[in-house]
Amino acid sequence: MESIKIKKITAVWIITVLVLFIVSIVLGILMRLNQGEIIEQSPITFYSNMTTHGLTMIGIWFVAGMAAVNYLMQRYVKTSYTANVIAYVLTVIGVLIFWTTTFVGKFHAGWTFLYPLPFKVMWATWATPLFLVSLTVFGLGWLIWSISLMTQLLKKYSIAQVFAWQHFRKNPKVETPPFILITMITLIGIITCLFAAVILIALFFAEYFSNGNFLNDALLMKNLTYFFGHTIANEMLYLGLAVIYELFSEVSGRPKWRTTWYVALAWNLTLIFILTAFFHHLYMDFAQPEGFQIIGQLASYLASLPAAGVTVFSVFIAVYRTEIKWSLTNLLFFIGVAGWVIGGLGAVIDATITNNVLLHNTLWVPAHFHTYNAMGNVLFSLAFFYWFTNQFTKNIEDGKFTKLTLAILLIGGIGFLLAFYIGGADSIPRRYSNYPTDFTAAAPLATMGAIFATIYLTAILIFFFKIYKGCLKILFSPS
Amino acid sequence: MFKNIVFTFVTINSWFFANAQTASGIEEETNIYERIYNAPIRVSRNQQLTFTDLNNKKPLLLALIFTKCAGVCNPFLLQLKENLQFINSDNPFTILVLSFDPRDRLGDMNLLAQKLGLENNKKWIFAVTDSIALLNQSIGFYPRWDSVRSQYDHDALLVGINKEGYITKKLIGIRDKLDLDLLISSVNNIYSPTYRLPNKNILFSCFNYDPKTGKNRPGLGWLFIALPAVLAMSLLLSISFIVHNKLPAE
Ligand code: HEM
Repeated sequence: MESIKIKKITAVWIITVLVLFIVSIVLGILMRLNQGEIIEQSPITFYSNMTTHGLTMIGIWFVAGMAAVNYLMQRYVKTSYTANVIAYVLTVIGVLIFWTTTFVGKFHAGWTFLYPLPFKVMWATWATPLFLVSLTVFGLGWLIWSISLMTQLLKKYSIAQVFAWQHFRKNPKVETPPFILITMITLIGIITCLFAAVILIALFFAEYFSNGNFLNDALLMKNLTYFFGHTIANEMLYLGLAVIYELFSEVSGRPKWRTTWYVALAWNLTLIFILTAFFHHLYMDFAQPEGFQIIGQLASYLASLPAAGVTVFSVFIAVYRTEIKWSLTNLLFFIGVAGWVIGGLGAVIDATITNNVLLHNTLWVPAHFHTYNAMGNVLFSLAFFYWFTNQFTKNIEDGKFTKLTLAILLIGGIGFLLAFYIGGADSIPRRYSNYPTDFTAAAPLATMGAIFATIYLTAILIFFFKIYKGCLKILFSPS
Repeated sequence: MFKNIVFTFVTINSWFFANAQTASGIEEETNIYERIYNAPIRVSRNQQLTFTDLNNKKPLLLALIFTKCAGVCNPFLLQLKENLQFINSDNPFTILVLSFDPRDRLGDMNLLAQKLGLENNKKWIFAVTDSIALLNQSIGFYPRWDSVRSQYDHDALLVGINKEGYITKKLIGIRDKLDLDLLISSVNNIYSPTYRLPNKNILFSCFNYDPKTGKNRPGLGWLFIALPAVLAMSLLLSISFIVHNKLPAE
């Protein structure tokens, strides 16, 4: 009974995520059209849309990963339906409050809401506290969900087992499935960064209600902001990877992936490094001691290398010279891993201090994070959505049409990203609603980005219509 | 001995004028990164230049004074001269001493240069201009004529102008060598860090900056950055402990 409920709530999550995704893509296209001088938005509208787009995207792909992991985790442990529903309700309430602050209140401090921007009120005065309330609601729901999942894992596995430490010895008696290991590592990271968010929001509220008697330290707030923001944006990718480790071999008709000593080591190291990589967001903050900048650079390399190395190796071994049952699910996983690696390389280039001097706050930044999101994590989740829907409603795949949709997605995605990369290499700044005339290539590139993003959107719409029908069937079927 | 007297005099004056300058209400932050008015300036009887001619060669430190000044001008220039002797910066700059009093003639400025012992110093240029109003406006400098004292009520102002003719930094009042160093860096487009002033309402800083030593001491704020990881690990251990002590091992 519990698993039927989880199945249904997963279907609800999928529909919600896809609807919010489509709206957010439209906002993204409008931003690019404005930057391309094809339409004219006021800077306030542009930045409100940018804030809505950024935070909604981060939020939905985080919950998409969580919903997928929650669903698959039932293969190993019982999970709490109540925690899942609480997270859903609080996410929806959070989105409604957040959208009110941006669409009605015109709050536009960006998804990173870097201190002291939220207090430099250039929008409805109620929008700042309400924005903080929306974050609190998200944080609460997601914290309950993550802690609940972690608790279920700890009921079955000891700490040593859940982190797969027994695999460092020869012939371990118990095997920790890679899915469990990665999920646990990721949940710890998520809980840690959500705690950072709690402290951050508390400090914001403290200043807001103190009537000037308490002021925050900008450097502390920036550290906390990126501790939360950078970490959650990375952890949501790892949720997608957990799903790949569980499903890729299965849908490809290959033996299940197993945890080895190097898989265990790589993911344990990732836990440590991913929590310190955020220091690379503070390279320009001279007051931050040099030691932390070096930690930031090293952690950025070390966080990406083990997980990426092991995953790419595993995927490569799985497909190289072997008979693979290719389906849309493993194709999306495969292309997603490629997107993740390419975006990751772009990120590592940017996280190298000598390069960051040039690339900081240029379009290179949205270039790399859109690569591993729009062409990485989104594809991981789409693959899961497809696989999930396919479990219960037959034949949502039809060969040729599916391949065509995939081709449209690839063409749209690559073109959209190229416009960002070329802009970044040309030192065009990010987060400009209108580009100064000195950047001659900026507006044409933005228009190109908008055109290709529309092609990408077309593919997403096709996927959406196929998936949502299946999800509705699951939702309304008696069992 | 003479040096000590000058110094005492300068210190007392600088305290007095430092207080006086806040009263006039001009701010160092105004007109920064705006272009200085390209005024024609006369540096010798047969040489008329413009600001661009000068700043194109080397960045400028512009000191605005008038020769009949009974107040801050002399101590200001004396201190500037003194401080610059101790600055051995590799970064190039020229000091342009310009009168904002239309009554001043080139002869008055030359006399002032002689009095300061700077008439043969290539780094210093003493000049007059006939575009005072436009120049002052581009800097945001507004001396007021006090007819009772027959003096201008004004600030001691040193303006940094880079090679492209942009105002990069202003120093109001008689300032120390450290500030001058920052000004010289700024006109050479070298980034200079700035720190917020200590504030008793900021309880949790990552660092506490000591302007005397120029050093940062770690503050309580770092605890907040370590806290999320500590909390998460404690939660992990607590939950594991609770579930394994409550439930039979599976
Ligand atoms: C085709 C789909 C998408 C389009 C057209 C799009 C467009 C844009 C644009 C134009 C910007 C502003 C860039 C600038 O700084 O000038 C932006 C920022 C951003 N996008 Fe996207 N995007 C898309 C997909 C995604 C996805 C899948 C994510 C997932 C996480 C995402 C997350 C973000 C974030 C976090 C920002 C930064 C917002 C901020 O700076 O506050 N976007 N996007």
